[in-house]
Amino acid sequence: MLLETYRRPKQLISLTPLIDVVFILLLFFMLSSTFNRTKEISVSASSRGQANQESKTVKVLITEPGVVRIKGYEYPINSSALNTELQAYAKSGDKVYLASMSHIKVQEIIKMLDLAKTYGISNLSLSESVSP
Amino acid sequence: MIPAINIVFLLLIFFMIAGHIEARNEQLKIPQSSSEKDLDAQDVDIQILADGSYVLNGQETDFALKEAIQQLTLSSESIITLHVHRDLPASSLDPVLKSTRQLGIKQLQIATVQQP
Repeated sequence: MLLETYRRPKQLISLTPLIDVVFILLLFFMLSSTFNRTKEISVSASSRGQANQESKTVKVLITEPGVVRIKGYEYPINSSALNTELQAYAKSGDKVYLASMSHIKVQEIIKMLDLAKTYGISNLSLSESVSP
Repeated sequence: MIPAINIVFLLLIFFMIAGHIEARNEQLKIPQSSSEKDLDAQDVDIQILADGSYVLNGQETDFALKEAIQQLTLSSESIITLHVHRDLPASSLDPVLKSTRQLGIKQLQIATVQQP
């Protein structure tokens, strides 16, 4: 009977090719995955026709980088006056329309949207830009 | 000789892919925000690149953005995802806002990255 002649090889896989393969896999997953997860800010698209009757609307216009105009008054972003205004709108549930002058960069709009979101304004919509 | 060729080949692939990814990122630097909500992919994705061109679901559309969106058979419940280059002027958003309003789409989500 030839039962004992089979001998297991000492090393199933040699080390160097294994490292090669692992390295390639590592590289593949590093390149295919994104490191910083993309976040999002939701806004409702502006719809002028069906303005709700029960809630008031407020227009916020970004006139300069870091300056917004509400009801004719200009507020710098991060000023306490603007913060109290935004808090009041969040409380009363007013619909806030955000518009900006056409030369304002998108990053500035996002900054303002972000600020409005942090004060809990949920009824937020984005209007088309205003040419000066 | 063969292992050297292997390594050189690997490096070539690495730099090709890395360079490609970098070039794409240059064209589309999305704005920063402190938002915590993760973006989940929706049926409509509009990209506005640094040169002002519009890319709708991976296809470049030149002018008729509204018609192009319309062809995608949407309901008013559809959500549009917007990847927009952060240094573009606000007026570049206008065609998107206008066509979404005309098509009766209510919600837009703007993709951002977390502030460093």
